[in-house]
Amino acid sequence: MRTAARSLSLLSGGSTGRGWSLSLFVRGASEASEGSRLCFSTDGGDGSRVKIFDRDLKRKQRDRAAWLMRPSDCFVDSVAENLLDRLEDCKKTFPTALCLGGSLEAVRRLLRGRGAIEKLIMMDMSCDMIQQCKEREQDKSDKNIETLHVVGDEEFLPMKESSLDLVLSCLGLHWTNDLPGAMIQCKLALKPDGLFLAAILGGETLKELRIACTIAQMEREGGISPRVSPLAQVRDAGNLLTRAGFSLPGVDVDEYVVRYKSALELIEHLRAMGETNALLQRVPILKRDTALATAAIYESMFAAEDGTIPATFQVIYMTGWKEHPSQPKAKQRGSATISFKDIQNQFGNGS
Amino acid sequence: MVRPSFALLRSAASTGFAKSLSEILVCPLSKQPLRFCEETNSLVSDAIGVSFPIKNGIPCLVLKDGKILGSDDDDDRTKSNDGSGPAPGNRAS
Repeated sequence: MRTAARSLSLLSGGSTGRGWSLSLFVRGASEASEGSRLCFSTDGGDGSRVKIFDRDLKRKQRDRAAWLMRPSDCFVDSVAENLLDRLEDCKKTFPTALCLGGSLEAVRRLLRGRGAIEKLIMMDMSCDMIQQCKEREQDKSDKNIETLHVVGDEEFLPMKESSLDLVLSCLGLHWTNDLPGAMIQCKLALKPDGLFLAAILGGETLKELRIACTIAQMEREGGISPRVSPLAQVRDAGNLLTRAGFSLPGVDVDEYVVRYKSALELIEHLRAMGETNALLQRVPILKRDTALATAAIYESMFAAEDGTIPATFQVIYMTGWKEHPSQPKAKQRGSATISFKDIQNQFGNGS
Repeated sequence: MVRPSFALLRSAASTGFAKSLSEILVCPLSKQPLRFCEETNSLVSDAIGVSFPIKNGIPCLVLKDGKILGSDDDDDRTKSNDGSGPAPGNRAS
């Protein structure tokens, strides 16, 4: 009973007492960095930027995920495989590539020389995650890829303008407060004709959990609070790519249904992926009976006949290129020399 | 006894990172080039006056990890390094 409540609270309540005390400790211990943050962050003061996610908490969750990571995770592996598969469709090679947070390890493991990458930069917010990647680098079979490691924030990409041929992001960008901003920075870092490939979780993700959490909270506490974060919808993804200025944008969606033995195992999996709640507006306390009620409602509403419970993950794959003269483009308005009527006469007579 | 080994460790860490990464990395905020400071083993962004640490050869370019170069000794150390003529290839540009 006890462990059950705790693991659930770690998903949905985010950090209860522990997270708070940790963040307080960090602030107290390094006054200089706190001061510096206030001084050079662009979002202070005017409040023009909306903050949805607690990036510091996400960083800690990813630190934890580095230690909980499974050697091979079916869901993450199939997303990474699907993403990397797109590299094979391109004739172009990508000598310099940047791999952004999320499932770094799976991407590195499954790369297998695709895209003819010579230099791969791995970037994540979490020091522990990057450290682990670096340690595992030693026992990789394909050593011809020069792998470099950086700890960095996707919201403030520390990459030089026009220096990369490929930016890959596997299940990480949906935690950025300013997704268009992050994508614009990716585009800036790309060379002309560079490729941006990203997989993010979409709005249908964990709909079962969303429902179960809401019902359980209504029932036990008489109100609801955000437990599962808001995610981009499919229709937004295309707009995002266009807004960031990518040419030849492409979006496609895949839905994965993962089956778990119980709701608690789902939570364990989310923790291992570092995908637990990091909303700024989260309620930091999750009562034990609410947590258990959530698990019970989940199982009674969605369980399959064999007793397993399904969880839906909707993954949105986004593809975009940085503009280059060699890419196909629409002609300028009014530049047509042939009338549509003539085209119809020529080709459309049969129908 | 301890000092030389420290120096060795530092140089190993710095050479391990510097060459290929410094060509690509810039300051996360101003997107200006970073300067590698050997003495403090950090990357300094002169544009905003912040130094980012390098841990185990991994540069940490998260804003929260950055230290403002103020009036304290950090500033002096980087300046003295700058003044004494940094080795060629020291500047990340």
